[in-house]
Amino acid sequence: MIHVQDVVKRYGTTLAVDRVSFRIETGEVVGFLGPNGAGKSTLLKMISTWLPLGAGHIEVAGHDVVREPLLARASLGYLPEHNALYDGMRVDRYLAFVGKLRGLRSELAERIAWVVDRCSLQDVVGKRIQACSKGYRQRIGLAAALLHDPPIVLLDEPTHGLDPLQVEAFLEFVRELAEGKAILFSSHILSEIVAVSDRVLVIDHGRLLLDAPLSELRERAEASGGTIERAVLDLVRAHQVVAAPKDQPA
Amino acid sequence: MKRASSWTGIRIIAAREIGAAVDSGIAFVFAIAFGLLANSIFMNEFFLAGTVDMGGYFRLLPLLLAFFLPAITMRTWAEERKTRTIETLLTLPIRPAQAVLGKFLAGLAVYALFLATSLPIPVMLVVLGDPEPGTILGGYLALGLFGALFLAFGNFLSALSKDQITAFVTATLFGFALVLLGNEDVVGILDGLVPGVFLGTFLYENVSVMPHYDAISRGALELPALAYFACSSALFLWTSSLALERIRD
Repeated sequence: MIHVQDVVKRYGTTLAVDRVSFRIETGEVVGFLGPNGAGKSTLLKMISTWLPLGAGHIEVAGHDVVREPLLARASLGYLPEHNALYDGMRVDRYLAFVGKLRGLRSELAERIAWVVDRCSLQDVVGKRIQACSKGYRQRIGLAAALLHDPPIVLLDEPTHGLDPLQVEAFLEFVRELAEGKAILFSSHILSEIVAVSDRVLVIDHGRLLLDAPLSELRERAEASGGTIERAVLDLVRAHQVVAAPKDQPA
Repeated sequence: MKRASSWTGIRIIAAREIGAAVDSGIAFVFAIAFGLLANSIFMNEFFLAGTVDMGGYFRLLPLLLAFFLPAITMRTWAEERKTRTIETLLTLPIRPAQAVLGKFLAGLAVYALFLATSLPIPVMLVVLGDPEPGTILGGYLALGLFGALFLAFGNFLSALSKDQITAFVTATLFGFALVLLGNEDVVGILDGLVPGVFLGTFLYENVSVMPHYDAISRGALELPALAYFACSSALFLWTSSLALERIRD
């Protein structure tokens, strides 16, 4: 579903993403973990076709993001990090706007009703977006990303601004969504990644330090008598020791 | 997976932009301000000259529009870039060109509202006398083409900027330059700057919008004038689309 191969991205002299490769298949929820500035958002922006690739190759649902960006975008639901919305629009009109641009016609009303229900937007559906709280704005962004029932979902720091109860409900919702979809869930909060993912990718300074199934991390944790969080941190530290300096040319 | 057809995408974006302009009231505020100023100019000319004619009105309007049209386009992309909604919009399955054309058509719709405020003038002229219909229709056609060109380069300059004010100022300066290069005094001054080069005449004949605008507003549908408006508007819409591809990095 998502195939990232040797992807590189530079901003001027800064290497933001350095030869990153991974695959995500249907039915997988993959947690994308890393500190702020690690390169998570840059990589998600490249998968979403928003940012051009410096080098490498990305395929989304079999479509090359450079050669077939429209087909790649049509297969994606993307909740960007900043989740910018048209504040002056009513929530229902915004969803209709996005749905129509995604080619939904006869099924539009049904799909809007579904996302409004699943994202719990009933209380704000007739309000302007500017009147909605941060939590609702995140859910509106998510609703827009899921409107066309995409096979691939990219979520960039989706729990930002949500209260603990909302985070719990959101993570549960992401798990429910996983069937038949490939989900890439980016966060800098390890507990969220552990709660929602089948597999964990860890990135730092643009380099992929770890790509491991959660079950493997669980086994390691059980063997060492520690937690999954500790197992992830130990693996990341071990990778950091052997990682090449980030300013090497890609 | 589905996506909207080219025309549907353009239409949906145009409808959203028109809705946003109407909702915010900006379209009405500018249309009323423009209508008051433009109609005052006409009434002044009408009572001074005492002729049943809109020629003076059509000659003065470009200067006024060089100020008002950038007010329509300044938000077009600068606001999308500032609020980052551009990322949301352009990661939907549409081409940048569809978004550019949608916003351009919305701008034309708002501009039509501007021009609608002048409709009482031809109605009044018909009631009071026997105006030449060809020059009135030619005048409105020239205004339409003039507006399309100014909206197109306003779109382009807005796509280059994250700040509405910068987009407004640059589009206003560029617009005034295109209009003033058609002014006889300005042409004379520029011709005198470098003797033998006739810079003012060159710019008047090859760059200024005014000779083409004047030709069409007189009712003469000359091919070079029509080609000037069509090609330059298309060029700026195309460069807007290219600019949207470039600003992603």
